[in-house]
Amino acid sequence: MFFVTYLRRELRRRMRQAVFIALGLAVGIGLVVVVTAASSGVKKAQADVLSSLYGVGTDVTVTGATPKPPKSGAAPKNAQTFQVGPGGAQFCSNGKCHNAAGQTIDNLGSPTSPISQSKVAAVARLHGVTAAAGGLTLNDTQIKLPKNFGQPGGSLPQPKSFSVDGVDIGHSSLGPLSSATVKSGHSFTAADATSNVAVVDSGYATANSLKVGSAVTIDKVKFTVIGIVGQPQSGSPPDIYIPLARAQAIGTGPDGKLKNKVNTIYVTAASAADIPAVQKEISKVLPGATVTTASSLASQVTGSLSSTAKLANELGKWLSVLVLIAAFAVAGLLTMAAVSRRAREFGTLKALGWRSRRIVAQVLGESVAMSVIGGLVGVGLGLAGAALITRIAPKLSANVPTAGGGPRLATNGPGGSQSFSPNATHTVLVPMHASVTAEVLALAVVLAVAGGLLAGALGSWRIGRLRPAAALARVE
Amino acid sequence: MYKLTGVNKIYQKGRRTVPAVRDLDLVIEDGEWLAVQGRTGHGKTTLLQLLGGLDRPTSGIVEFDGQDLAQLREAQVTRVRAASIGFIFQTFNLVPTLSAAENVEAALIPLGTPAAQRRHRVNAALVSVGLDDRARHLPSELSGGQQQRVAIARALVKEPKVLLADEPTGNLDEGTRDEIIGLLEKLWRDLGLTLVLVTHDSSLARRAQRVGVMNKGRLAMAGLNPGGCAARP
Repeated sequence: MFFVTYLRRELRRRMRQAVFIALGLAVGIGLVVVVTAASSGVKKAQADVLSSLYGVGTDVTVTGATPKPPKSGAAPKNAQTFQVGPGGAQFCSNGKCHNAAGQTIDNLGSPTSPISQSKVAAVARLHGVTAAAGGLTLNDTQIKLPKNFGQPGGSLPQPKSFSVDGVDIGHSSLGPLSSATVKSGHSFTAADATSNVAVVDSGYATANSLKVGSAVTIDKVKFTVIGIVGQPQSGSPPDIYIPLARAQAIGTGPDGKLKNKVNTIYVTAASAADIPAVQKEISKVLPGATVTTASSLASQVTGSLSSTAKLANELGKWLSVLVLIAAFAVAGLLTMAAVSRRAREFGTLKALGWRSRRIVAQVLGESVAMSVIGGLVGVGLGLAGAALITRIAPKLSANVPTAGGGPRLATNGPGGSQSFSPNATHTVLVPMHASVTAEVLALAVVLAVAGGLLAGALGSWRIGRLRPAAALARVE
Repeated sequence: MYKLTGVNKIYQKGRRTVPAVRDLDLVIEDGEWLAVQGRTGHGKTTLLQLLGGLDRPTSGIVEFDGQDLAQLREAQVTRVRAASIGFIFQTFNLVPTLSAAENVEAALIPLGTPAAQRRHRVNAALVSVGLDDRARHLPSELSGGQQQRVAIARALVKEPKVLLADEPTGNLDEGTRDEIIGLLEKLWRDLGLTLVLVTHDSSLARRAQRVGVMNKGRLAMAGLNPGGCAARP
């Protein structure tokens, strides 16, 4: 109790200095808390973006090669094309042409080259692979041609498109549907494998007034909506999910139909350490395919999310470290000065029989007390800062690459060939949540105590070694 | 109590050496009151610091109660000081943030005395110096004489064998000086302490049993003081 009484009285005596030291440490620790919270918030946003692309539990994603763009003047094999000439406009598909005016053209296409479904099993057997599932990532593009299409003055209207994901119902823990939560209705069951049923993303459902029981048309085939699902807010999920077998039946790829084909393989590795080796092995099994991991995909994500991540991780981290070092240094110097001024007091205590370590413990105690107070204030500042960031920070944009290009629609006419292709990337808006975790709070406490011990050690080091006579001779 | 043999203390100031104490031999008996006089800078305080183990001699033996303080480890000297040696300083040297009682209590902390016992002994010490009604006052709330009384209580609360006083009345007015020296004399008589008092005040020195004079680091004993305090009954 004497220790506490002495400590309390001394801190009260040099209240201004104690407040200054505590505030300095508070700012340093507060900054560490805010930067760490912002950094973890950004990391979570990045993880949400990535997991929504390929689903939870997917470590490696394999996609077919992007087909080469067609030569000018030539239509790609199996492409659907428009021919515009003096006789009007014609739509050609699979070598057959007909008058296109007034028609609704609907194409469910694969933007990447397909992969044989047998390769999925081959990948699943690789060392370090826990599970593998195939899927088809398709785009349904619809163009409603006006009746005067092909005549002078008539132009090709803008297509409407939505994304369709063919889901392997037997491996529901892999792929984009794995991270979805059912909002109404239900997801696929084993019995739905060959049925014309669809699960719709909640955002798409709201935009198109769809609900459970509604009908959606995909490549002129009617599907019944059996469930509405939601994905993590940061994600850019497919609009509609259908059973893989149905997607294979109605979709088309660069080389024709997609029977027994997939264009994406989702792979789960046994552990994070296995991912690089698995990536290598898959590349051997499927040369020409694009094999990406979460970390390589993360490096392709651009936009303000990416910039903010860099800012938080690099500038933010170093700034908070510098401020903390400065706070520790100031605390140490002020403590040294205060202890130096009390040299005669400590000399007297030594004369009374106090051992050096008791005096050092007293100084350390005073220092740690100031730092703990500073740490608590710092945590408060950090929590307030994190809450402020969450409240006022604008949504961050993530430009996420999609797999390959768009649907294979091309025109050949007097103006030369034109093709339609949705953007190769799409932008996702991600809210910024700066979250303070228990680990961050523990770090703050550790930093506070460490700061106090360091300052106290610096301050008391010399006085502990000073002879009582020399200490008593000091003039205050 | 004390036996000093061939004690030297030399301070190094750059290239210069400053001999504060030279070839000092001294015996102080148990219960004796020795006054040490001398001009400023002639080694009085240094002698007191050597007697109290606050500093080590450059050479020689400082025997206290059969132990050579110069040969003991710092921790051992500290233990001896804690248990057996009380100090009184010219500038009182009270801890400004602690009350009178807490300042006195500080002397018992190294002894590991239980809290209840500490309170009892502190109270008794303050009563013996007539300051029990000022126990909760801070040093800034006490006069110079009262502060020195607190310092005396602090020195005596641990029931030391020897009391070393360095100019205890140097910062006090004449009236208070007499008060303090009278108190010291009374306590010396009542408690059977060994008292070594450093002063440049001849009138004070004359009250002691024996007087020594420090002159440029050398001690000359003036012998017994027949006109002083007289022998303890």
